[in-house]
Amino acid sequence: MNYTTIPTTCAYCGCGCEILFEVLDGELVGTIPSKANPINHGSLCIKGWTAHEFVVSEKRLKSPLIRKNGEFKEATWDEALNLVSSTLKEIKETSGPDSLACLSSAKCTNEENYLMQKVMRAVVGTNNVDHCARL
Amino acid sequence: MEALKNEVETLLREGTISAFLGMKLIKGQSIPFLFTHPDDLEQLTIGEARYPLAKIILIAHKYPDHHLGIMVRGCDEKALIELYRNKQLDRCKLVPMGVACSGELAEKCNCSKPYPSQFIVGEAREISFDRAILEKIESLPLDERFGYWINQLGKCIKCYGCRNICPVCFCEVCTLEDAPLIPLGKIPPEVPAFHLSRAFHMAGRCIDCGLCEEGCPVDIPLRTLYRKVREIVQELFDYLPGEDKEVVAPLQILGDGSFEITEGNP
Amino acid sequence: MLEESSFEPKIIAFCCNWCSYAGADLAGGMRLKYSSTIRPIRVMCSGRISPHFIIKAFQEGADGVLVTGCHIGDCHYMKGNYITAKRVAILRELFNFIGISPERLRLEWVAASEGDKFARVADEFTEKIKTLGPSSIKNISFNK
Repeated sequence: MNYTTIPTTCAYCGCGCEILFEVLDGELVGTIPSKANPINHGSLCIKGWTAHEFVVSEKRLKSPLIRKNGEFKEATWDEALNLVSSTLKEIKETSGPDSLACLSSAKCTNEENYLMQKVMRAVVGTNNVDHCARL
Repeated sequence: MEALKNEVETLLREGTISAFLGMKLIKGQSIPFLFTHPDDLEQLTIGEARYPLAKIILIAHKYPDHHLGIMVRGCDEKALIELYRNKQLDRCKLVPMGVACSGELAEKCNCSKPYPSQFIVGEAREISFDRAILEKIESLPLDERFGYWINQLGKCIKCYGCRNICPVCFCEVCTLEDAPLIPLGKIPPEVPAFHLSRAFHMAGRCIDCGLCEEGCPVDIPLRTLYRKVREIVQELFDYLPGEDKEVVAPLQILGDGSFEITEGNP
Repeated sequence: MLEESSFEPKIIAFCCNWCSYAGADLAGGMRLKYSSTIRPIRVMCSGRISPHFIIKAFQEGADGVLVTGCHIGDCHYMKGNYITAKRVAILRELFNFIGISPERLRLEWVAASEGDKFARVADEFTEKIKTLGPSSIKNISFNK
């Protein structure tokens, strides 16, 4: 019988509210707002209150998936990344770099977002960079 | 503090309890934790942050045969009494360790009884119940009262924080998530139906712990609303939740027909 | 004054199958005229009327809600109406605190033989709602 709470930061948006993940017997079961943090003062939005759900969700991807014959099939990272880079290269050659755009996410870290926009600007050659917070 | 540690240690070593739900001090922060081993008790603390331990102890459902200890403040004790009354917890399987709240915490919580019936840490204090906000609202004419509440309830972002943190809210299927009653995807959620529904649910259950208002990100005066509901139930049925009496709440049973509302309802 | 006479209230009347709905039906059978503002909803017992039905009725634009059931002691299911009285009593006070007139919610015990009572209560209640005016819940901008 093990129950503990782990202080961490909510991954959803830029606010960075502190939450306590409830872990019962090694399983993530719930989220409580942390009362010690001056950012959220013990409050959370609906996303924060359910921040544990996506971690243990059955819908989470376990491997890259490639659509073959209308159905998603499991693939390796190499296969998937090769497909992405070859397709992007092809589109860039035929329709130009500005026909491509990227949508990034507040769930990614700042560093990941930096890399994303760097790839788009330096490698693909377009300024079409956007983020889910703008939607 | 030492008294609490020693008491818990004794109970763990004797095997009276399998584990103790209390607060752990890590990196300057106190967080809820289940102590299973006497060696862990180094970090046992009381802390000034109030978490609904009475709600967290519902993990006992997974271990129905174990005896568990729990740190209880005045509010936790009232919550536990209501949970016993609603058959959510087995009284015989819980060993409460009472802790009286500090003066600062009692003031901050505006708590009328910041100590449980038995406690081994702290001292009993009485804080006078502040009815000023209720009186102010009651003194407003009807349409101004309505305007006040609609403005306050219109701030709601439907985070469900009030319901999630409430120690006496234990339903697995919640009315507030019922789509025909509260349509999905609307912010603010049905004003005032959302909050009226919750307020009605608090009738005969709310113990006035104030965690709802503390957890509201937009500062809706929820505690004021539920305090009024408590007063209504007390006036109509002479019942106050959280009292350790062998009675059922007025809305828990159909009743005996003795409660009558005047026909024509003036 | 002109506004008042053109206001046709919408009143939801919850009626229990055994007594009050039969009473309402009898009013019809006796050819009694009563206000057309009443929209009846039949439930098997007044105890079935969850407070959320009443709250929802107001939320959806009802100007008044009439809860009717068997007389105490005559409930077809023995005790259903005992809890109806408790719920309505709490709701009236709660509405008052929120700023909705408690007079918009009325509880009345109507037996199956009391067709005339049903008609009389319907008319009285309609008059009362007319003087109170339309429910302000309809004007809440957030809900639109």
